[in-house]
Amino acid sequence: MELWHSHILRETIDQDSLLVQGNRACALGALDSGVRFFAGYPITPSSEIMETMARELPLVGGVFLQMEDEIASICACIGASLTGEVAMTATSGPGFSLMQEAIGYAAVAEAPLVVVDVMRMGPSTGRPTTPSQGDVMQARWGTHGDHPAIVLAASNVADMYRLTMAAVRFAQRFRTPVTLLADEVVGHMRESFAPELVGRYRLTSGDFDFTEGYLRPDMVREVHPPHTLGRKGHPHVTGLIHDDTGFPTNDPKKSEQFLLQLHDKVVHHRDELCLYDVKNEGKGRVCIVAYGSCARSARAALKLAKEEGLPVEVLHLYTLFPLPVEIIQAVARRCEFILIPELNLGQYAREVRKMAENWTTVISMGKIDGTLITPREILDRLEELIGKYESI
Amino acid sequence: MTDAQAQTDGMVIASDAGKPLAERHFLEVRFGGSGGQGVILMGVILAVAATRDHRYVVQTQSYGPEARGGYSRSDVIIARNPVDYPQLTGIDLLVALSAEAAQKYTGFVRSHGVFIFDSGVLATPPRITADTYGVPFAKLALEATGRAQTANILTLGAVVGLTGIISPDSLEKAVLSMVPKGTEEMNQAAMRRGLELDGEEWRVR
Repeated sequence: MELWHSHILRETIDQDSLLVQGNRACALGALDSGVRFFAGYPITPSSEIMETMARELPLVGGVFLQMEDEIASICACIGASLTGEVAMTATSGPGFSLMQEAIGYAAVAEAPLVVVDVMRMGPSTGRPTTPSQGDVMQARWGTHGDHPAIVLAASNVADMYRLTMAAVRFAQRFRTPVTLLADEVVGHMRESFAPELVGRYRLTSGDFDFTEGYLRPDMVREVHPPHTLGRKGHPHVTGLIHDDTGFPTNDPKKSEQFLLQLHDKVVHHRDELCLYDVKNEGKGRVCIVAYGSCARSARAALKLAKEEGLPVEVLHLYTLFPLPVEIIQAVARRCEFILIPELNLGQYAREVRKMAENWTTVISMGKIDGTLITPREILDRLEELIGKYESI
Repeated sequence: MTDAQAQTDGMVIASDAGKPLAERHFLEVRFGGSGGQGVILMGVILAVAATRDHRYVVQTQSYGPEARGGYSRSDVIIARNPVDYPQLTGIDLLVALSAEAAQKYTGFVRSHGVFIFDSGVLATPPRITADTYGVPFAKLALEATGRAQTANILTLGAVVGLTGIISPDSLEKAVLSMVPKGTEEMNQAAMRRGLELDGEEWRVR
């Protein structure tokens, strides 16, 4: 695979050490996957993504814009996207809130776009330098109306690189905004990582393909023909419900068809979109379902559980939406209960409960004090719960 | 990290118990001080140096919302296997450059750990069951380079000299690649002064 590596950035990463910060890995993934337009407004803890893009994009012939706020930033990205550019922006909670209306516009206009949200403690200004996973449901339902959403969650520096690449690919192939969620710890931490080794980080769900047609993937069949600005013809783009000509329609049948196609193009391709990893598969009586930095706690807890002889498996989700229905139900069928540690008051646990409650009990383990959930805390909770829930 | 978590030793590998820091498979290091002392840079340099030694490394930091002053800390996990949980569950090596950091973090240091502090800012360190070294880093830095700002690099040299957790060669390469251009020689001098400190001379207990 030929990647468009930015050599200046490569040189600033110590080649013998390969210690990379999460936010930088995200920028590197964006550059390697062909992102050539970035408009943003700085905000802790995502600013290093913007800083890196500001320095690197001009060197590879791309465009970087610092805008006056996050609304302008995402709108500039949508504009660039409609001309055929691969566009991305990055922000944190307060900025993500401002972007919501435009995300809906991009969904209806079918403008491919990647939005990175490095989550910090909210609501409002919250605590800028502490991690959180409080934006999960905002990433799904933050903009109004029945719209599709593809939401990925990064748990380490390697994820920041490869999930940014996945987000770019998904955005292009499904022509829709894709949100990549990270948190303060993942964004700011530095970790041993080499982009060349990314193939080593395989997922049990079958990785996305980095090779053939990676940079310009085919569109799925449900996508409407794109109207690219600046090319021949008279394109028309609107946030109104429209038909194949791009012009608005009030026809009930066409309206329903349009919205269903938006929905189907994401939900019908779960097999491709849902990235996950199961540890200790089929050997546990109970399952920890986790994403983002909590998945790291869960993996560490699994090691402790093995030492103590507790039968545990871990489902590490990289894709939160579309909901990974099949794997959650498979786990639910074989486990006494599912424990979901997350840095919010159980936002994703409610989603999992909807899918799993026919087969098992779903227990939320939320934490909102700004610190990570430790492996020991997860294990202590498991020890309290184990044996209390019989298999149905 | 709360008091309760400090006692769990969650990630400690049984075979590491009682071994010198340099021989351990899993090592948790914290640098504590106040904003502006270069505490986060110390963690980053140690992390770069340790990856040069082919270790798995995770470096995290915590700081207040203010740009200067306030607390600042930098944590590094150095391991022979991939690291799952990215933050510290206890401290094997604590380096404190302010009295507040020493007071705040010594409670988390494990037995058989190492505690290194700047004796210029803290006359009587908290008594803990760790090998304790007190060195007037800022004063030594001023003598060695004429600039007290090089104290963080001198301290890094001392940390490596006293514990041997990474190779001096990797440290030198990391320092030279991370410090601002034009200050390489000065920082090299500070690092070497730190490396040659005699453990017996500065050992408190």
